[in-house]
Amino acid sequence: MLDITTLTISDCHDLLVNKKITAVEIVTSYLDRIRKYDPEIKAFITVTNDLALASARVLDKKIASGQPVGQLAGSVMAVKDIFLTAGIETTSGSQLLKGYIPQYSSTVYQRLLDEDAILVGKTNTDTFAFGGSTENSGYFTTHNPWNTDLVPGGSSGGSAAALSASLCTFSLGTDTGGSIRQPASLCGITGIKPTYGRNSRYGITAMASSFDCPGAFAKNAADLALVTKIMAGADIHDATSSPVTVADYSQELNAQTLSGLKIGLPKEYFGMGIDDEVKQRILDTAEFFKKNGAEIIDISLPNTKLGIAVYYILVPSEISSNMARYDGIRFGQSQKGIDDLLQYYLDTRGEFMEPEIKRRVLIGTYALSSGYYDAYYTKASKVRMIIKNEFIDAYKKVDVILTPVSPTTAWPIGEKSNDPLAMYLSDVFTVCVNVAGLPSIALPCGFDSKNLPIGFQLIGNYFEESKLFSIAHQYQKLTNYHLQAPKI
Amino acid sequence: MKVTPIIGLEAHVELKTLSKMFCSCDASHFHAQPNTHTCPVCLGLPGALPVPNYTACEWNIKLGLALNCSINKYSFFERKNYFYPDLPKGYQITQLQAPFAINGYLDIDSEHIRINRAHMEEDTGKSQHTVVDMQDMTLIDFNRSGVPLVEIVSEPDIRGSAVAKKYLIKLQQIIRYLGISDADIEKGSMRCEPTINLEIITNNGQTIYTPLVEIKNVASLSGVEMAIEYEIKRQLLEWQKSGIIKTKTNKTTRGWDANKLQTFLQREKEGSADYRYFPEPDIPPLEFTDEQITKIKQSIPELPDAKKQRYIKDFSLSDYDATTITNDFETTQVFENIINISKDIKFPKFVANLILGPVKTYVNEKQLNISEINLDPSKFAILFDQTEKGSISMTIVKQFIIEAIDPKFDIMATLQSRGLFQVSNVSELEEFAKQVIDANPQAVKDYQKNPNSLGFLIGQLMKISGGAANPKLAREILEKVITKGLK
Repeated sequence: MLDITTLTISDCHDLLVNKKITAVEIVTSYLDRIRKYDPEIKAFITVTNDLALASARVLDKKIASGQPVGQLAGSVMAVKDIFLTAGIETTSGSQLLKGYIPQYSSTVYQRLLDEDAILVGKTNTDTFAFGGSTENSGYFTTHNPWNTDLVPGGSSGGSAAALSASLCTFSLGTDTGGSIRQPASLCGITGIKPTYGRNSRYGITAMASSFDCPGAFAKNAADLALVTKIMAGADIHDATSSPVTVADYSQELNAQTLSGLKIGLPKEYFGMGIDDEVKQRILDTAEFFKKNGAEIIDISLPNTKLGIAVYYILVPSEISSNMARYDGIRFGQSQKGIDDLLQYYLDTRGEFMEPEIKRRVLIGTYALSSGYYDAYYTKASKVRMIIKNEFIDAYKKVDVILTPVSPTTAWPIGEKSNDPLAMYLSDVFTVCVNVAGLPSIALPCGFDSKNLPIGFQLIGNYFEESKLFSIAHQYQKLTNYHLQAPKI
Repeated sequence: MKVTPIIGLEAHVELKTLSKMFCSCDASHFHAQPNTHTCPVCLGLPGALPVPNYTACEWNIKLGLALNCSINKYSFFERKNYFYPDLPKGYQITQLQAPFAINGYLDIDSEHIRINRAHMEEDTGKSQHTVVDMQDMTLIDFNRSGVPLVEIVSEPDIRGSAVAKKYLIKLQQIIRYLGISDADIEKGSMRCEPTINLEIITNNGQTIYTPLVEIKNVASLSGVEMAIEYEIKRQLLEWQKSGIIKTKTNKTTRGWDANKLQTFLQREKEGSADYRYFPEPDIPPLEFTDEQITKIKQSIPELPDAKKQRYIKDFSLSDYDATTITNDFETTQVFENIINISKDIKFPKFVANLILGPVKTYVNEKQLNISEINLDPSKFAILFDQTEKGSISMTIVKQFIIEAIDPKFDIMATLQSRGLFQVSNVSELEEFAKQVIDANPQAVKDYQKNPNSLGFLIGQLMKISGGAANPKLAREILEKVITKGLK
């Protein structure tokens, strides 16, 4: 019997419009699977059961009456719970927003709805996306479908786990320092962090405004290209969204051949605590590209080591300001019966903010304080420019840069949760991409000895998403790592 | 001992753009139903992002140019972080390091007041402390949240309350000429915060400075003047009593009590507040080219000083009349619209007299705005022609220009039907003169001894003419007939 939940976006779409299956059947298959497996995986904070079925019935009527349907008709999406969904609880993984029903929807989510994608639920995340394992969620920790004792990565761990466990056709995440690529790598799936400004941030609770980048996870590069094409593009509600024309990524999937492709291999990405098995797998992957006609060029990005420092000064600085609106006055949870204003703020924020929020607000407030601002914020901004320029120089020599995503495969839940610094250091291979605002695609390239997925990333030049999708597609035509599913 | 007040002024002006600074909500808020002009952006809801209003930025630059400022071609917004319930995002978007306009000045009489900056920011919501169901409450209206504000900061170059007031009036005039704000202090679209201290040179030649005081909640121009006057006296007394002088940290904030006419302590600053300014990451930096700035400069209309000089030069208006008309932009618009109808060089002066006389009295009495009444240029022209011909008196002109606000009022027909044309016909007037001289021989003798006593005879002539005689001609003819006799 056909298992709908293994189908790609295009497969589902074809079967649906050719009336081989109905939208209700698709949605029901996923909901059944969520009911069966999510109690163990815990990918979802909210499952939009009734709404998904209602949407499916509307879509089926549309098809029955011969009306045109969107490009994503037949797809079921899981959305990280920091994307605002009008009328549907949006918690940002924090107790602060427990019960919060937004009045409006984020732009990128709305664009997907407009193409008839059906929302199946809101997924778990580290509180306000602050973390790399979902252990900082104000609700619960998500489990890695490949081994439920392990973390799925984060912060978009719920969306990655949901896709990895086939609980949706594609899912949405955000990547501020690696929060799409790292869980994609740890869960053995494909994920894209587009160029900063490619996707609108409007309607997504802000972490660090100059780093945040919405993106997606999918079963393969081809699906991801389609979803990204729909999400991308300028938005009048986001002044940082780019007016650069969005290429037709789906049409250009075969535009890039591996032959003649110049791939940069930066030496700085193969030290810094990288696991031997991971390192070998990435080098083997580079070798694989070489065998298929690509040229591997050793490059150096000497200030990579400063990425973490820059990131953990600038990001908390922006966070400390972005979190100020959560004062309990207009929305969200608040302490009742307090007359004094200052006490009201202290008690509300004290009670409902998770520890990681407080930690980052404290770091950021300190970094922005008068007397420290120049030493931290100004200095870090300068180093940010240096890191950016290093990449720009590198792209004069290479088409893309190939690196590992996470220094290790998935680790046991609880192992690093009491050591925030160790957790921060696991972002070492992903943060520089956000510091520079470049696009990067993460995709699976094998397994370690514990049968845990290993992923690599291809970092492209600004707005060269199309090239990334095309290379990833060529790679996936030659390999089957992306077709492996966890046994759950 | 020599005491000199040192005053700097911060003025906040709400721009009257259609939409708010960072969202598309209606920017008008005066008397609007609370919280009806709001959206996720100006309510600071999760996920909302600011998108700058380009018109507001241009208007800020326009004002900067009108205040003789340099324009920062590369400019950006910054966040000023602090918590208050009427500040929904927990930070205000403003400009610190690279404001749109810097280093300008205004000349007030002979005083040169330097302007440090004119920068763009957003207004906050409004807290309203009230009682609901017998309980003290603070309600917040976010209609004002995100309304574009330009803050104009002067250097501490002002040396007295009168100059401070003149500076604000001039600023207000320029803003209204530019049409970017009503700059109405009473309605809150312009707000002023003087900062003041004293320089005291003591009798033994020592120079000291009293602590800085910033005065808030001043809701009128006269209030600014009175608050500064009060503060000058208070600081002197305070210094004489305590001897406390200015330090880096003892600046205080005082409120103005408009009923008691005194300032009161609001906040002692424990050091200065740390607002943790940093560049607003949600808005890319803004860059303006020389061409764009030139274009904005070209859109600046003639400003009060230049207009006044032109009125004096081209229309021979007195300094007083030119000043009075150019004080109010709308009056200049009305004035210029009327004088366009005639090329007669005496016409502008005639119109100015009417606008500053009967028209001004009328609008003041009716509490109207001059642009709200119907002043038909052709009616000014008719009255001017008749006056020039000597057929009507100024008394009639002043009366008729008001009656002619009614569009149905026909000047010529009414003059006719009410018999108000002046008798300027020489032979008719000579006939009246003869009658008066014959009837008043004693008065004629008196006049021959004392030429100043002609008034009585003119009065008699006016009387028998039924008030219709042209008084100027009547005088001339009486004089002629008495001295030379009738031909």
